[in-house]
Amino acid sequence: MKQPETIYPDISDILQRKAEGRRDISRRSFGEKIAMMEALRERLAPFKRLREQRRAARQAAQGSKVDPEK
Amino acid sequence: MSTVGQHLMGMKQTLDVVNRMEADRIIGRYAIAGAVAAYNYIEPTVTEDVDILIAFDSGPRQPQSGLVTLGPILSYLKDKGYSEFRKEGILIEGWAVQFIPVASDLDAEALAKADDVDLEIDPNEGSVNVRVLRPEYIVATALRVGRPKDRLRVIQFLQEEAVDIEALCDVIGRHGLADAWLTLCGGAGIADPCWIKSTT
Repeated sequence: MKQPETIYPDISDILQRKAEGRRDISRRSFGEKIAMMEALRERLAPFKRLREQRRAARQAAQGSKVDPEK
Repeated sequence: MSTVGQHLMGMKQTLDVVNRMEADRIIGRYAIAGAVAAYNYIEPTVTEDVDILIAFDSGPRQPQSGLVTLGPILSYLKDKGYSEFRKEGILIEGWAVQFIPVASDLDAEALAKADDVDLEIDPNEGSVNVRVLRPEYIVATALRVGRPKDRLRVIQFLQEEAVDIEALCDVIGRHGLADAWLTLCGGAGIADPCWIKSTT
């Protein structure tokens, strides 16, 4: 028997609110935007560390492929 | 405590609340999506919220609006003292969190295949275990949404070699995104990496 098609919620209302939020942010002053970026950088520092660790591991792996004697 | 310390602590506390919601079965499986998930792989884009893609108990019935489906979640959070709304989401420990129900087969697969990540917040605070969407699904979702900023995100992933091309091409093919992909590659003036991969 054919599985009934999945009915997903319509999230356009959520996305519309988010778009309004982005427009509000775009109207902030330059100073407010800089402060927002600073806060963002602090909050997301753990993700940046992870990303750099992965990149270093990838580069090390590529390096060992290129020159297995190293 | 320093300002930096407060921000970092807020991040851990926010994610702890989301993990508690999963443990309490208020939400099903979840994964960090959107700009914060992208930040896990590429250089940052501006965001003030964290998108949390959540499983949705779907069935053969009329589709509900996204905000209506979030009712039980918001009620739970209100009981915990989180009732401040912004357009970007509900404020949890100083961080606007937007819960987004799975709304397509692509979302459902992205959530099912999300990576578990042990995120070390701070040596003093320890780490928090979270789930983050894999890069091929972030790119495929950006391709599907297709706004200018999404196209930029796709190009950024390609330029920074932050996505596995084979995995991406597989997702693109299975989710009917080939036309959007070719349009993006043509518009950006880049050779189609999927075609190159298939011929090498």
